[in-house]
Amino acid sequence: MIIKYSQLPNIKSKIVLAPLVPITFANGDYEFSTFALVDSGATGAIISTVIAEDLHIDWRKIPANFGFSVGSSFKSHRYNNLDAEVYNHKFRLSVGIVEGISPHRCILGQADIFKRAKITFEGYKQQFEIKFRELN
Amino acid sequence: MQQNKINFVKLLQGYKSGWVGINPDFKSVAVSGKTLKETRKKAEKINKKIYFFPAGESYGNFIGKIVNDN
Repeated sequence: MIIKYSQLPNIKSKIVLAPLVPITFANGDYEFSTFALVDSGATGAIISTVIAEDLHIDWRKIPANFGFSVGSSFKSHRYNNLDAEVYNHKFRLSVGIVEGISPHRCILGQADIFKRAKITFEGYKQQFEIKFRELN
Repeated sequence: MQQNKINFVKLLQGYKSGWVGINPDFKSVAVSGKTLKETRKKAEKINKKIYFFPAGESYGNFIGKIVNDN
């Protein structure tokens, strides 16, 4: 599957190109579909507390850990029982529910999508390719 | 197989805040609302998968490549 980078609005007369995939999360009977950034530099998946709450995850009852990004640290709550579907591929996901980030924040990283698929970035073509592995 | 470019610039045009529900062809907005809860409620009346995304944000710090819009 070849996926063109998505165009996102930024400051006036600028756009941001980002490798996004449509994703559907399922927590039991509760589903939430949105778009996730495919980030080779991310250790693993994260979602915002807004998304977690829509999925009826009571993240406040989950003990917090601290993570680090380029410019800061963040408070995160690990949730291991989320299912995800990307281009008809379903997999179990362990996510960090991160406090204080923008509502849309949803990132897939090395511990999840990069273990499920071969991903090739072609920035010069503004696209990337995902080949899901056949796993039992 | 190829997924064409999803143009959020075009999709989110005219939506300055709140949330939108995007159709599964990623070409148009099906519903919108001031909150995610309101948007989701409107989407329940539609018998297809809706993708939720907030409007009115600057996505510059979403770690992407910034280019001129021309």
